[in-house]
Amino acid sequence: MPAVLWKEDMSRLAQFNWLGVIDYIPALLQGLYYTLLVSVIGLIIGFVLGAVFGLGRISRSKIVYGISTAYIELLRGTPVLVQAIWIYFALPLIIGFNIPSLTAGIIVIGLNSGAYIAEIVRGAVQSVEKGQMEAGRSLGLSQHLTMRYVIWPQAFKRMIPPLGNQFIISIKDTSLLSVILVPELIFQGRLVASNHFNAVEIYTTVAVFYLVITLTLSKVLNVMEKRLTH
Amino acid sequence: MIIHVADLHKSFGDNEVLSGIDCDVEPQEVVCVIGPSGSGKSTFLRCLNMLEEITSGEVVIDGKSLTDRQTNINEVRTEIGMVFQQFNLFPHMSVLENISLAPLKVRSLSAEAVRDRASKLLDKVGLGDKADAYPAQLSGGQQQRVAIARALAMEPKMMLFDEPTSALDPELVGEVLAVMKQLAEEGMTMVVVTHEMGFASEVADRVLFMDGGVIVEEGTPEQIFKAPKSERTKSFLNKVL
Repeated sequence: MPAVLWKEDMSRLAQFNWLGVIDYIPALLQGLYYTLLVSVIGLIIGFVLGAVFGLGRISRSKIVYGISTAYIELLRGTPVLVQAIWIYFALPLIIGFNIPSLTAGIIVIGLNSGAYIAEIVRGAVQSVEKGQMEAGRSLGLSQHLTMRYVIWPQAFKRMIPPLGNQFIISIKDTSLLSVILVPELIFQGRLVASNHFNAVEIYTTVAVFYLVITLTLSKVLNVMEKRLTH
Repeated sequence: MIIHVADLHKSFGDNEVLSGIDCDVEPQEVVCVIGPSGSGKSTFLRCLNMLEEITSGEVVIDGKSLTDRQTNINEVRTEIGMVFQQFNLFPHMSVLENISLAPLKVRSLSAEAVRDRASKLLDKVGLGDKADAYPAQLSGGQQQRVAIARALAMEPKMMLFDEPTSALDPELVGEVLAVMKQLAEEGMTMVVVTHEMGFASEVADRVLFMDGGVIVEEGTPEQIFKAPKSERTKSFLNKVL
């Protein structure tokens, strides 16, 4: 009787102390604050890096192309966790001073998302028809002006769906920063859960927090995309 | 002369598309370029404003050599309007914005002066009521007329047309040709790559027949259409007329 089993299984979940989570909401909200902080600043950095290196991938200069490709391949091809450990533990040995964990976390998210965003930018810019650049140039607009007023606005609109995807992935990647002691959602959740033995309740609540962030982001991007459509 | 072309060669890799073009165009002259597809006529036109890099030879526009490193190509291009087969309007901008962009950013005119100029040009191409429309809301013929207005907004000394009616439904060809004809009558210098033999014979001062990357024959429309000398011209005209 699958239906009965399902009901019994579900009722077993009731033995968890869901109401008890309320006591730890303030701690989780603090984690949420850091998750949002790292995500927002990290993704702003990632977008700037993505724009620069994405355009670098289309550059006619072999050096610019090479540097951009190396950056993208290195950051896409290695785990975020390792990147975090490198920047927090290994980089200070090279540069001679410590990096606060929050700063390190922001750098990791920025660098990592930048590599993916660069490919999104490249793809979107290259998807704009060749005739658009030619039309701009034939009017006497420089390469730069044509890029800015003709190509970029069209490319930007096409970037929004894949950017949304990347933003969501990067927001969830911030959970890996708990290993370098960034006090984000997972870090706070683990702290509470290991002291109070309520892992299921706490991590489920943490998941709901992530879901709220990502659903809000999806909604905002949807509205943005519609606004840019003529 | 306003356009001077001497021994122009253009290759894409090993493939030579233009094999030595010599051609001069006088101010206010209307030159139509005809020929089979793949003959290099579009490439020739695109070399005139450096949308294609010139492999060798010389193109001089209004006294400025395009192959000279001192020449600012953006400046030269402001004197050459170009109309494309696929219109290439900016889809994210209204008709008015399409027309205004270059005058605002390159000529640095005031917004008011540009709006004034744009609305005059739209009236001229018969689209005075479409300033706020977006390209996707217009028919092909209307889009191409906007594209002509956009090119004219820079007040160029000459206009290049790259098969301007080839992407249009047959019933829309006339409205675009009418605008071009009016432009020719006003004394605009024009180089037109076209398959519209009727337009070429009616409006052109001179017709160039291109095949295999060279100008095979040139002359007045009368000479080319009524009494072609070359066998290749004859056989081409037999197929299209």
